[in-house]
Amino acid sequence: MTPAQTQTGPSHRIALRDVDLVYSSLAFKERSLKTLALRTLARRPAAAVHDVHDVHALKGLNLEIGAGERVGLLGHNGAGKTSLLKVLAGLYPIAAGSLRVQGQVRALFDLSLGFEPDASGRENILYRGLLLGLNPAFMRRMENEIVAFADLGEFIDYPVKTYSAGMQVRLAFAISTAVGGDVLLLDEVIGAGDEAFMKKARERIRSLIDQAEILVLASHDITSLRSLCERGLVLDHGKLVFDGPIDAAVAHYRSTQGAQGAQAGT
Amino acid sequence: MSSYATRIWALRHFWVHLALSDLRSRWRRSYFGILWSVIQPLATTLMLSFVFAHIFHVAMADYAPYVLSGMIVWDFMIASAVNGSQSFIQADAYIRQCAHPLAIYPLRTVLGNLIALAAASTGLIAWVLLAMPQHFGWCWLAALTLFPILAGIGWPLATLLAYFAARFRDLPHSLGLLFQAMWFVSPIYFEPGTFRAGNLQALVDYNPVYHLLQIVRAPLLHGSWPSAENYAYCFGMIALFSSLAWLVGRKAERNVIFYL
Repeated sequence: MTPAQTQTGPSHRIALRDVDLVYSSLAFKERSLKTLALRTLARRPAAAVHDVHDVHALKGLNLEIGAGERVGLLGHNGAGKTSLLKVLAGLYPIAAGSLRVQGQVRALFDLSLGFEPDASGRENILYRGLLLGLNPAFMRRMENEIVAFADLGEFIDYPVKTYSAGMQVRLAFAISTAVGGDVLLLDEVIGAGDEAFMKKARERIRSLIDQAEILVLASHDITSLRSLCERGLVLDHGKLVFDGPIDAAVAHYRSTQGAQGAQAGT
Repeated sequence: MSSYATRIWALRHFWVHLALSDLRSRWRRSYFGILWSVIQPLATTLMLSFVFAHIFHVAMADYAPYVLSGMIVWDFMIASAVNGSQSFIQADAYIRQCAHPLAIYPLRTVLGNLIALAAASTGLIAWVLLAMPQHFGWCWLAALTLFPILAGIGWPLATLLAYFAARFRDLPHSLGLLFQAMWFVSPIYFEPGTFRAGNLQALVDYNPVYHLLQIVRAPLLHGSWPSAENYAYCFGMIALFSSLAWLVGRKAERNVIFYL
């Protein structure tokens, strides 16, 4: 049972209670049996000077998001926006607290990961659909629509390794947004490809948002946050410091930014 | 537990595709393609048994299928353990994007290896049919049970090792060493008689590798059914590795993403 795939009911809902997320420093330090053995034998911290500590990414988060809500996440780099999205997607296990996500989750992050470089763009459409848990018959029905949206011309039948980075993002975007979900999690995906594609992508994201019951969007782009969301959450060092209407959240975020800037200036 | 199995089944298109694409990329742009799975062990066997048949004074036509049967099963075990241990690391792009049951990634490796083994075993069957057709009979059906048994051993073993390998990157190297050692003390290329003659019969009678190989050797090479003891050892290994993988995975599965 992952929290991301609980039952799909009429009332889609996200509920977090006292959620902690900790990245164990063991994951960066103990990479070999040797270091483990040495540390157990020596019984003292390996390098006291530049020691790496556990990263407490989310601290005591309490949050309720109901059906129909459009939520924007604000915060500085490293404030915990992506961590929160990944917890909601069921990717990261929480260290403490409880988490309930009701509804089919569709997460759009790390889009260009997971292509098979030797296979053609067309084959990769099928493969990525399977990764998302869709069945082959459905993907074959979707194929033409995805090919048309990605608009890669004859390159769709070339191996993905011949694609430019921009082309890869276009294809990944076209596939991943072909199907929506009840709970849509976005991490700065609006910003892929050239001007014309950006316009198409924005429209597509809008229609996905319209289909979704719940949207959680993490972004630094205040304009799109204001236009897409009604509710804003401000995160700072893993803590939820503001929860309210998006305009008030933006104002709160800007004021903390100003305070930090002033501190840095002195 | 049952919901975990349901989720693995729901993703069957995905892991079957991954296994097939592994095979495709292994044989991409090679002339013989999957035929290499047949040619390679056959050619190695011919060279080995030519030398060994002289050393041990046995008939090459009889000895070669013995070596071949040992080689293809052992290759499966090594590939499942060593490549299987890398299955989470190899799949990190998927693990970072989707919260699927992690057991599908070792399953992908083991399934690909089983297909390669099925191809390789056609060489063995052809050889035995030509060299000792008198063994052909109903008992050959028992040889088919090797596939579910190997899946039952290989999948949990690969899963178990993958948990350790995600955390300890030395594992694949030490596994190579371990399998080399096990090869020396098991009747894989050497016949059981060699061990018994050296007063080392324990290495045969209590060796799970020997019993596993008997599942295919008893029918194909001797025209007899495998013994209940042979099956008991196999099911023992399945039970052992499955419970170990379950015990480790219960705690470790959700944390794997931090170690990738």
